[in-house]
Amino acid sequence: MEMEGVNLAAVSYDSPETLLSFARKHGIGDPLLSDRDSAVIRRFGIFNTNIAPGLRAYGVPHPVEYLVAPDGAVVRKYFVPNYQHRVTGSAVALREFGAADRTAPAITLRSGALTVEVGLAAAKGFAGQQIGFFAKFTLEPGWHIYGAPLPEAYTPTSVAFDDPNVIAQSFDLPPAQPMEIGALGETIPVYSGSFSGTGSLLLKFPIDAGEVALHGQVHFQQCGDSVCEAPETIPFELRLTLQPFLVATPAK
Amino acid sequence: MKSDPNEIPPNEIPEDLAEKAAVMREFRRLRAAGEPVSAELYAKHIQATNDRYATGPGPGERIQDFVLPDQSGQPRSLRDLAGPNGLFLVFHRSADW
Repeated sequence: MEMEGVNLAAVSYDSPETLLSFARKHGIGDPLLSDRDSAVIRRFGIFNTNIAPGLRAYGVPHPVEYLVAPDGAVVRKYFVPNYQHRVTGSAVALREFGAADRTAPAITLRSGALTVEVGLAAAKGFAGQQIGFFAKFTLEPGWHIYGAPLPEAYTPTSVAFDDPNVIAQSFDLPPAQPMEIGALGETIPVYSGSFSGTGSLLLKFPIDAGEVALHGQVHFQQCGDSVCEAPETIPFELRLTLQPFLVATPAK
Repeated sequence: MKSDPNEIPPNEIPEDLAEKAAVMREFRRLRAAGEPVSAELYAKHIQATNDRYATGPGPGERIQDFVLPDQSGQPRSLRDLAGPNGLFLVFHRSADW
């Protein structure tokens, strides 16, 4: 994200000493900020009020991540309502800047006039994370697939994971172009040429560490100037390496 | 961004907070002992932790500048932390557990 001119900083209620040993242990150079009495956490309105004073967790925030413009305005915020789920930097970089890790798994699927590359934003992750994914479509000249909304007779284009390890997901395509269908006089949204969509999937928690195959499907209907193929579903599989969780050691 | 209206003085822990604390303690005890956590307790723990879920200022709202010490003890402000295109600001629970 630094490459895009966006710096990273993290806030927690830990002491600077705790943050320093954490930063050294994991080789972190980004600023880790110490909000010892949770004053800034309270000012943001994200103080977790479910935790009784005296518990170790008293003072923690609800986990939220903000993309803030240089003038201090919030551009976007990321959150998942489960403290064991996390938004990943790679998912944010993909959505905000179209950047994907080159080592991340991707697969190219072909059918008729359509080529579609589907891939993940990261090669490695943890259970409970939100992982970004993308789909890059290319159609031969004279062919189109459909956007939304559509009359019932047509099949819109979608990319979705159909996998027990994926508990939530979203996928967005750019706006489709209106196209007039001659004989019927209908105007319907279509895609042609090259275009891409991005999405994110939320992994279940917990899942055992190791390689996990995530299964999904691309769904579409391709039509040329004089012929419409039947709706198609192409299944795909992307393999993600899930890392084991770090075990926290109590402070001495 | 005003101070939290739900904040509770330490000497007045209401019943629901005590119930949540019991769930959190039991969850932590099992995890520390390496014992399995039932799906029911897991769900209760998530619920107890995420009740009154709040996510703070939204797109378009301005964040008031703040100053906090970083891991080297240096005071850092929102303005000096931001890069030419801004800042990705992460709030997380703890670096220690």
